[in-house]
Amino acid sequence: MKKLVKHPKRLFGVALTYLLLLVVAFVFLFPILWLVLASFSKSGSLYSFKGFFPTEYSFDTFKKLFVDTEMYNYPRWFANTLFIAVMSSFLGTFLTILTAYCMSRFHFKSRKALMKTTLLLGMFPSFMTMTAVYLLCTQFNLVNQHWGLILIYSAGAPMGYLTQKGFFDTISISVDEAARIDGASNFQIFIKITLPLAKPMIVYTLLSSFVWPWSDFILPKLLLKNKDLYTVAVGLMSLDNTEFSRFAAGSVFIAIPIVIFYFALSKFLIGGLSAGAVKQ
Amino acid sequence: MKRTIPAIAAHIALLVALICCVGLLGNTENTEGVSKFNGELEHNVTLRILENDTAVKQGYLGELLAAFNKQYASYGIKAVDANMDQYTDLANDGPFGYGPDVLYQANDALMKYVDNRHIMPLPTESIDCFDTVGEKSWQAYTRNVEGTDYVFGVPVNVQGPLLYYRKDMLPQNWQTDWDDDGDGICDIVQYWTDMYRYSKQLKQGNEVTADGAKKFGYMRSFLEPYFSVGYLYSYGGYTFGNNNTDPKDIGHSAGESYKGAWVVRQLASVMDERCIDDSVTVTAYSALASGEYFATVTTPDVYTLFVTEMKNRGYSDEYIEENLVTANLPLLPASGDLEDESKGWVESRMMGGIQGYAISSYTKAPNAALAFVNFATSYEMILRRNELLGIVPARTDVASAVGGLSAIINSNLGEGNIVVMPSISEVAQIWTPLQTFFQDLAKDPFRTDGYKYDTVNKIKQKLVEVDEQIYSAIFTLA
Amino acid sequence: MTANNQSFWKKTAQGVKGFFTDLGKKIADWFRGVPTRWKKRFDSVKTLLSNANGKVMASCFVMGLGQLLYAQWIKGLIYLVVQVAFVLFFVFVGAKGIVGLFTLGTVEGNAWYGVEGDNSVIMLLLGILSVIALVLYIAVYIANIKDAYKIQCIVESFKQPPTFRRELGTLLDKNFYKVALALPILGVCVFCILPIIFMILIAFTNYGGKTVPPRLVDWVGLENFGKILTLSDFAPTFFKIFGWNILWAVLSTFINYFAGLGLALLLNRKCVKGKVFWRLFPILAYAVPGFITLIGFKFMFSYGGPINYYITKAGGNAVGFLDIDAKWPSRIIGLAVNAWLCIPSSMLLATGILSNMNTDLYEAARVDGASSWKQFTKITLPYVLFATMPVLISQFIGNFNNFGIFYFLRGGLYIDGYFLASDTDLLINWLYNMSIDNNYYSIGAAISIVIFVVTSVISLTVYVLSPSYKQEDTYQ
Repeated sequence: MKKLVKHPKRLFGVALTYLLLLVVAFVFLFPILWLVLASFSKSGSLYSFKGFFPTEYSFDTFKKLFVDTEMYNYPRWFANTLFIAVMSSFLGTFLTILTAYCMSRFHFKSRKALMKTTLLLGMFPSFMTMTAVYLLCTQFNLVNQHWGLILIYSAGAPMGYLTQKGFFDTISISVDEAARIDGASNFQIFIKITLPLAKPMIVYTLLSSFVWPWSDFILPKLLLKNKDLYTVAVGLMSLDNTEFSRFAAGSVFIAIPIVIFYFALSKFLIGGLSAGAVKQ
Repeated sequence: MKRTIPAIAAHIALLVALICCVGLLGNTENTEGVSKFNGELEHNVTLRILENDTAVKQGYLGELLAAFNKQYASYGIKAVDANMDQYTDLANDGPFGYGPDVLYQANDALMKYVDNRHIMPLPTESIDCFDTVGEKSWQAYTRNVEGTDYVFGVPVNVQGPLLYYRKDMLPQNWQTDWDDDGDGICDIVQYWTDMYRYSKQLKQGNEVTADGAKKFGYMRSFLEPYFSVGYLYSYGGYTFGNNNTDPKDIGHSAGESYKGAWVVRQLASVMDERCIDDSVTVTAYSALASGEYFATVTTPDVYTLFVTEMKNRGYSDEYIEENLVTANLPLLPASGDLEDESKGWVESRMMGGIQGYAISSYTKAPNAALAFVNFATSYEMILRRNELLGIVPARTDVASAVGGLSAIINSNLGEGNIVVMPSISEVAQIWTPLQTFFQDLAKDPFRTDGYKYDTVNKIKQKLVEVDEQIYSAIFTLA
Repeated sequence: MTANNQSFWKKTAQGVKGFFTDLGKKIADWFRGVPTRWKKRFDSVKTLLSNANGKVMASCFVMGLGQLLYAQWIKGLIYLVVQVAFVLFFVFVGAKGIVGLFTLGTVEGNAWYGVEGDNSVIMLLLGILSVIALVLYIAVYIANIKDAYKIQCIVESFKQPPTFRRELGTLLDKNFYKVALALPILGVCVFCILPIIFMILIAFTNYGGKTVPPRLVDWVGLENFGKILTLSDFAPTFFKIFGWNILWAVLSTFINYFAGLGLALLLNRKCVKGKVFWRLFPILAYAVPGFITLIGFKFMFSYGGPINYYITKAGGNAVGFLDIDAKWPSRIIGLAVNAWLCIPSSMLLATGILSNMNTDLYEAARVDGASSWKQFTKITLPYVLFATMPVLISQFIGNFNNFGIFYFLRGGLYIDGYFLASDTDLLINWLYNMSIDNNYYSIGAAISIVIFVVTSVISLTVYVLSPSYKQEDTYQ
């Protein structure tokens, strides 16, 4: 306390920081809070609200969400989504990290051309290619199959390798060279040295390649015809517009795994700062 | 070098030879066309039935399937819920074997499939309900293909807008002050002019509901063309020429349709801004229940939603039945001005739709599917459907037996006051231009920086532009 | 201020000029190099072909035969198996596919009578697949001849050719990237490149409207492009939307990026206790699927929504935030909502990048007495910019092609002066209106090629100019 009084400027800085944090927290929490409130609304309709607050509260919606599954089988959708997202997250992360590592460390002949090509490919409007993806899936029998989606998500994931490559570019190459003198092969260097150093980036990749299938709507809508195979996103969109509180409850619940994911992995994501010195 | 190139050439020759040999063998044979409906029921087949969500939710589909399966158990025919999205596109799913065998959708959705033969022409002589369904309903499902008129679907129910109002919210003194024609029915729900006057009165007043919300009279979002375009129809406008079959002739500006647009603008002025976007549409159920709105217009199949909301508010079943009234749409003034009753009246015309069953061309059991359609459109099943779902049957015999709403809507359809949505695929292009127009028009009374549509000429001109826009959406890129 | 401004413009002008002269030189050099490069290539082929012995020729005839004759059993067998597999593929699928690519089908299907017919678009797709397979086959075939010739050379200089095990070993070391990249590239080829090629080819057909399978689709050459050029409504709408699209992409990328970075830095401050807790709020926004949030925001800003509820309650007139007259309010709301959606992930990214930063630099700076602003501009920003420049570009592209925002917030509007579009629509929304909504796939494909050419030139230029492309190893 004494220290702070001695430095009024620092005290001001701390206060400002917390003030900013409060503002940020409010801005991000507010719409979500509204969704949470809506999920506890007694009336199903979106418009029987007084401003931001439902006229009456009850737990019924959550009960309905998990019990009344005749028409809208939320638990089933949830399990489907979890399966698809986890599988594509692992496969996608594996492929992305591999791609990024190669693009960062191997200066092979066609590398720059490859980099430019991938950048260009991202510029095509994706929905124009959806017709082709659908036709392709009908030919390979991937329609109405969760594996079809997993395949497409993980195959598309390496397209976003640039983030990870940028990260690998900042890891000093001297460690690699030292290991190479000791006779390690590139494969061993990748497994034993680069991967452990890239933990925060792997976590980021896992999270982002989990979130994509988790919240995507277009692909599952295109490829999953059977209601029992739906993901949460498609299922929620198929709800009647008088079922708003169920929609809100479903949307709130879908956020929970990602929040858990975040808590479980935040250590790796953020812990890097102090470890920085070791890396050089 | 001399010997290497021949080796490569030999390699290529080997490949080409192999491919040609097999390629010649693999020619596909052409089969000549025969109708698939030969009257012989396929045995041991499963039919996948696509129904709408309400039918599934209210348990109607379950009953229907159970009854059908019981009757056809001896043939091994089994009907199951296709378990797909109710709006699923057969053109996408069918050709690859993922689609349902029998589909229940609206006439615009179903008839779109005819273009590329995704649904089958039905043998009219084998449709049991052929004589009991009205001509207008069949028209929506008839299309001329290469010189022959074919029927592609069996009409099940008619959708047409109705007026919903709260009888207990009529003014106390309506019998003396609001019944000029003296027929014992309040003029407010019979004439748009009185509805307008009453709504204006409520808007300017300070009455609030128990929740503290301001009271309004008539409320209806104008955003959806399905509900708004009828005002243009009432004064001579139309969507496509030649009974909605000629997309080259677009007529929203035809006749005196500008009068209808003026009525929309006047009605908007007695509501509030919520009529501009779709806010009112979903509020209507609870707002009518809470007494915030006096009346609205919507389709008959959502009656149960109003009832549920009123029950939530603690009203008894008898009270609801007595006071939640559905009625035919009020009459419009021939003058096109809601403040001028001097020129007599015209009937309100509205857009409607006809939902029905069609059979996918990709079904493996067309005859069993036809048997299912016949079963599902039988007198008993349609009657049951009406009981459970509150739909208006397209079967006139059921409609007259049930009476009430069903009779009203069927007679409206017969008299041409319900204009069935066009059944041609070009209809997809009318929605956005019309939706934009009605949004613009409904916004006009609330504009603070100068009106856009305060004269008849401005509206006329805009309507012509809307038609041109639809025309170019259909034809410019085709 | 004016002097500063002038020098800034001068610098920019010089930079742009320098870039174009550089580019010009590069292109000229490349063309000048063409003859020499081709001669070299031709010469090496000639040497190979004229020096090849019988065993190499055997490989020319059937893949892997030469290797087998040199007693390289496993490698030879692999090549042989590949040869057989390819032949089988071409016999049963490939040949038909390539023929189908030209005809696009000859028999029209008629589902009423069970006539199966040809599905033109499927044929197009399989055709492309077959051509890709053919290219792959030629590549393997050439590699096979080269390999046989390499063995020949080694044997002729009286050395032992490498064993199969040793060759496998290089795959984990020197050639590790080949193994590692094979799977990702295959996946990208099938699920990203193949559909794109398909779409490009569609632009040269009449696919769309009523001409969709089972009707037969046909090649029409450049007709679709001609249609776009002659369409008088097209150009004005295109440029109006394009201008807004660029503005949108620049602004939203800028806002999201720096707000995310700022947030990450704010949370990284030493004085912040409970980082995990504070970071949770943006994560919450990240955890709810975007389309749900968009639907929620649309409702919030609607006439019946909570914001207008409070405005009217306070006696004001309801505000049409997203309605037909609200061009700029909608645009600004779009930017804000997009920021709300994207800042969390850009914060996460910045956190990840910052965590890998060398803290020694800060110590040194602190010793030198640099202010925290200086530390930010001289150390943090260059570092983060370097590491994320490519990401920044892909975010720019992502924002440029951001379909969801205005589709959900303000869809279903055609504004006067725009051809089938509204004044908040981005090019991608317009494209959607025309191609998916209105079913004109081939025109849509042609337009997306036009859009693609324009946008790719811009972003590729920025990318090639960026320091992280030019000097990738600055921090290595």
